[in-house]
Amino acid sequence: MSERNTFSPFWHRVRALKPRLRPHVQITRQGYLGRRWYVVQDPSSNGFYRLNPVAHEMVALLDGSRTVDEAWQLGLTRHGDEALTQNDVITVLSQLYGANLLQADIAPEAEQLLSRGNDRRKKKFIGQAIGLMYFRIPLFNPNSILAAIEPVLRPLLNRFGFFAWLALVIAALVALTPHWRTLVTGFDSAIAPANWPVLLVSYVLLKLWHETGHGVICKRFGGQVPVFGAMMLVLVPSPYVDASASWSFRSKWQRMAVGAGGMMFELFVAAIAAFVWLGTKDNPGLAHQVAYNIMLTSGISTVVFNANPLMKFDGYYILSDLIEVPNLMQRSMNMLKFLCQKHIYRVENPQSPTTRPGEALILIAYGIGALIYRVVIFLSITMYILGKMFALGVFLAIWTTAMWFLLPIGQWVHWLATHQSLSHFRTRAIATSLALVAAGVLLIGVIPRPDYRRATGVVNADMQSRLFSANNGTIAKIHVANGAHVKQGDPLVTLEAPELLTSLEYAKAQLREAKLRQSQAMMQAPAAEQAAAEYANMIDKQIAYMSELVSKLVITAPHDGTAVFAEGARDIGRFISEGTPLVEVIDERTLRVAAVLPQAEADWIASMSSDKYTVEARRISIVDHVMTLTPTQLPRSASTTIPHSALTYAGGGTIENDPKAQSQQLDTVAKRPIFTAAFIPKLPKDATDEARAQALADLGPTGERIKLRFELPSKPLLAQWLDRLDKALQGRAKI
Amino acid sequence: MTSFPLNPVPASLPGNAATGGAMTNYTALYESLRSRKLKPVVPKNLDILAVKLQVAAERRRVTLKDLRRRADQIVTLAPKFRNVSDAVLDQQINDIREVFVRRRQTADHIDTALAMIREVARRETGEEPFAVQLVAALAMQYGRMVEMLTGEGKTLTGSITAPLIAWQHRWLHVLTVNDYLAQRDAQSRACIFKRCGLRVGAITQETENGERFDIYARDIVYGTPKQIVADWLRDQIRLGRATTPWNARTMASLIGGEDSADKSRSIMPMVPGLHAALVDEADAVLVDEGVIPLIIARARQEDEMSQVYREAADLASKLEDTIDFAIEPVRRRATLKLRGEDRCKQLFAALADRGGSAIWRATRRGEELIRQALVARYCYIKGQQYETVDGKVVIVDEYTGRFLPDRSWEHGLHQAVEAKEGVEVTADRETLARLSFQRYFRSYPFMCGMTGTAADATGEMESTYRRPVMVIPTNRPIARKQMPTRVFRSAREKWAAIADSVADIHNQGRPILVGTRSVAASETIARMLEQRGIQHSVLNANFDKDEAEIIARAGKGGLSANVTVATNMAGRGTDIKLDDLAKSAGGLHVILTEMHSAKRIDRQFIGRAGRQGDPGSAQIFASLEDELLRKFAKWPSHIIRQRFPKSELTDIPGILKLLNWSQRRAQSHDRNNRDSVLKQDDWIDKHLPGVG
Repeated sequence: MSERNTFSPFWHRVRALKPRLRPHVQITRQGYLGRRWYVVQDPSSNGFYRLNPVAHEMVALLDGSRTVDEAWQLGLTRHGDEALTQNDVITVLSQLYGANLLQADIAPEAEQLLSRGNDRRKKKFIGQAIGLMYFRIPLFNPNSILAAIEPVLRPLLNRFGFFAWLALVIAALVALTPHWRTLVTGFDSAIAPANWPVLLVSYVLLKLWHETGHGVICKRFGGQVPVFGAMMLVLVPSPYVDASASWSFRSKWQRMAVGAGGMMFELFVAAIAAFVWLGTKDNPGLAHQVAYNIMLTSGISTVVFNANPLMKFDGYYILSDLIEVPNLMQRSMNMLKFLCQKHIYRVENPQSPTTRPGEALILIAYGIGALIYRVVIFLSITMYILGKMFALGVFLAIWTTAMWFLLPIGQWVHWLATHQSLSHFRTRAIATSLALVAAGVLLIGVIPRPDYRRATGVVNADMQSRLFSANNGTIAKIHVANGAHVKQGDPLVTLEAPELLTSLEYAKAQLREAKLRQSQAMMQAPAAEQAAAEYANMIDKQIAYMSELVSKLVITAPHDGTAVFAEGARDIGRFISEGTPLVEVIDERTLRVAAVLPQAEADWIASMSSDKYTVEARRISIVDHVMTLTPTQLPRSASTTIPHSALTYAGGGTIENDPKAQSQQLDTVAKRPIFTAAFIPKLPKDATDEARAQALADLGPTGERIKLRFELPSKPLLAQWLDRLDKALQGRAKI
Repeated sequence: MTSFPLNPVPASLPGNAATGGAMTNYTALYESLRSRKLKPVVPKNLDILAVKLQVAAERRRVTLKDLRRRADQIVTLAPKFRNVSDAVLDQQINDIREVFVRRRQTADHIDTALAMIREVARRETGEEPFAVQLVAALAMQYGRMVEMLTGEGKTLTGSITAPLIAWQHRWLHVLTVNDYLAQRDAQSRACIFKRCGLRVGAITQETENGERFDIYARDIVYGTPKQIVADWLRDQIRLGRATTPWNARTMASLIGGEDSADKSRSIMPMVPGLHAALVDEADAVLVDEGVIPLIIARARQEDEMSQVYREAADLASKLEDTIDFAIEPVRRRATLKLRGEDRCKQLFAALADRGGSAIWRATRRGEELIRQALVARYCYIKGQQYETVDGKVVIVDEYTGRFLPDRSWEHGLHQAVEAKEGVEVTADRETLARLSFQRYFRSYPFMCGMTGTAADATGEMESTYRRPVMVIPTNRPIARKQMPTRVFRSAREKWAAIADSVADIHNQGRPILVGTRSVAASETIARMLEQRGIQHSVLNANFDKDEAEIIARAGKGGLSANVTVATNMAGRGTDIKLDDLAKSAGGLHVILTEMHSAKRIDRQFIGRAGRQGDPGSAQIFASLEDELLRKFAKWPSHIIRQRFPKSELTDIPGILKLLNWSQRRAQSHDRNNRDSVLKQDDWIDKHLPGVG
């Protein structure tokens, strides 16, 4: 139902005008999804305006000799239902005029022109203030520089050049793949403060090069690049160029090339750096480090910012051209607004930003994606900065909350209060909004929702002993099979140590000798008797020690359990050196899950009584089996000792090791204090031993990692979030 | 002939040097263009608050208490001038006037001047302003919108204020309700103004074009807003898009019109700039009329459209309400439903095949015409919004109840109504220039006004026009008795009750004024009175020729006491003089047969009774079928109708609250409309500056 009114009450104000486009304005035809569009461009001021074919024809008819009314009448006879309404014409004219593309026989008054300029400046300033994270300062006109560079690079800026570039980048990626781990482990040291100067210099140089890429390619296809400037990109200064001239290129591939130019130039350098890095791997020096930094900077900035279409950087414009949806961001937001107006507020005749269902889907998907991304990036950046610089983080968080969330809410309220389209059912619209807000408040602020917390644990047994060989020897006998159940005192392994036996015999002989000497001395030289007695005594002790060692050659189970033989202790005749682990006896009945929780997030576990929460567990290898656990041992205080290396970052867990710990303790010292608690399967009181054993068996072998989910007493979501935020700040804030 | 030549003012006075002789073309051009550039913008966002604070501060600057004290002082000054000879008084006035012209006046000067003017008024007209009138004059001198209850002598107040303002500002426009008042006041007050050294003229419908140039050059110009705004717009057309006098004269010399003997064809503007305005019935002019822009239009040549409108009216009659389309009476809008759209397509095809107009081939335009025809059919009702007179559709002003003979609705609506009535379809007109009263009046750097009902429009006066409102106490206490409002289930029952009430009070020998909202309603009640054999006269747009005579008779009491049935025509500015019989019987009784969409209009009408301390009474009758409740309280009245199956609903608790609530809704709805007119104006100014 199109209720566009043909007539406008203001027609008389424009009907007799004889406007025309300014003489130097250029019109370019572009195709978007099979539709024609005309871009009206003023090369001198970089003013743009996009017209559909009907509007374009109307504008084309305005040649300075026809009046607006005549042109409109002509359009009516030609296009019938498609023709522009008087309101459309006024809108098009006013916008062209506003973009300074139209020349009309009107004498604009100085004050009005000035106020228009002021308005524009004000708007721009407000725009900048909103995006404090993306503040722009224009610096100079880079034209002469680009004019010098572009001819040099021109032979490469073509299809051949593109494929060569692609080959290089792929080759670099392939070459890097085997060294991926090295790359990742280098990251920590690369972002250490000591490395900052190098990082900053390489970043700025790379970005300069990046912008050169945009500029050169834009120039290559005949566009002008009038501004080079600096902007604050999430508080990091970064250069930019104004390549908006590319918007008027006819071919979308050319437009995309300009958008991608920066990244291509940057990745080109990164690829070369990759080869340098690989080449200098064996004798790391400055070149190695610089190459690494270049790869790091360009890689991360490309992935996180430039190629990401959800922020208004290169990727966004490339995507917009690729899927042929101009003005993607704004129209997506308009699309979402339109949907709200139509379905929530039931505004009559809301203006949809598109008429094609396909495009509508793209807009909706993109709009929702961008919104989610906005929230995520806001949260992560804010949290990160909060951890580093608390005051700045708080300021940024407040500022961004105000600009990204409060301002839209303000606009929403303003729209509700004043917008024309609501004037006849404002009460209803306000009621709807209040209901929505109330529902939202109810949902997150009042209705208790289960509060889930997660942790990682590892299976171990309370009664678990590892048996070591007490001295060197060879395995003489293995009494039980690997994995067999043994009783306390059962022999497990017998070692053969002939030297030990020989030494024992020798010692015994020595003892006999010593005893003889002692009795001899008693009679002959009572003075020597004391010394002889001491000697015999010493030998005696030696024998006792050796006998003990001999007795330890038969290794017995210290308690009931399963005997698990060590890798090197399974073959008869194998030599075993002193102190080698031989067998582990694990009492399955005492299996349990040792879980670690960062202290900052989990003070509840120390304070909350255990019947108030439930614990669910899944093995990491069998995720669809859910077990219920109950705590057996709760922490009283936090420590930095990690119970099992499988829980650390390096072991694939979630606990950050302390990189400053001594190397042999690296696996067991956490960076931040943690709580360690133990859990066993929760069983009914009258559970049979079989059921108990089965439940323990379900936990899996010792060393298995377990994901735990705690369900704390239900709380409204808002309270949960605040609680977590509070914890996060406590943990990270460095004021 | 409406000009009143006066003796030339001595040329020595600096402020009025130009008016002494002929105003130079250049001055007029310059002033006219300068005023046109003042395009006050409707405040937005925080500016609204700023304006409110500004006005509040301004309101506190001059308080009623101060003014009353000063008015008393002025009264005590009277003896000082009482015995002075005319010549001396003139000299003193001339001296103090010079102070005003130089804008050096202090509060003392103002008081003294007002005392002198009061004395002049006494000598020239025999009327001596009361203290409260002096209060009002002072308030207006400070740019206030004053509320003076009806019958408190607004005319006299205006005529003692005008000289004060005219001395300070170059030209003063005094805007009155109708041509008759403009002419009468200009004529009867000329003697006062003359002695104040001011020249006065009146612009009415009949004033010749050539004469207007001279009249507008005078210090005080009386006229109706319509006349003056229309002249201002005609100037706009004449000036084209010139922005500077130089520019305008160059353009003129190209056409060769500047010095032509017939000024109306030259580029000389008629209205030389807007400096100060004194608006009578300010709420009517600034608020009620604000929504309707004044439009200067000319007939289009093309005439094939008349057939189209008739075809559209025909098609519209074939569609069924609620099935094919929905009507929104509040917004005067029709929406086609899906079935209606299908029907339209079929009908269009059929029509196009039968050789109808080519327009029906374009669906969008066709549907637009159909919607318009539906609106004309269901939202515009003969006897309410218009009447047919001599085979023409004539608009009836919803606020004043008068015919607006030369006006027509825009964009084919008028034609659609004509087609519906089956009268000759006139050619569609094409807008040449357009200006809303709101916009025009905001261009006056100085404006003040008076009305009987300003307090109800305070919000709008203060936000749109930034003029504080001041309520002036009455000279004598009001003796009017307000009887409780009665509410009925249906219109029929209401009319019967009204007729009973009329008969009852008529028997007491009191004159009665029955106010109706539309011409049709006035005829309904007239018929009912006739059935009961009650003598009455009817005053509505159809009988406006007899207006003066009917009003003159309306105050007669006694055995042949008068019953007058009138539309809003009798609402504003009508002074019903009671004879002694009527006064002794209890004065005029006003019956309002329906509540209007604004409380102010009700108050105005009720204000006809109990003027100047006369006895009187008033009563409002309402029914659930009244337009106000039908439009703005559809569901509540439906519920009441279901729950209370009786004819008189007066005693239902909350029913009066419902009435007032729907009246408030209607007011805010109208206010929204007015605001949107302003916003559109601003939008176009901002986006196409310098155009039109």
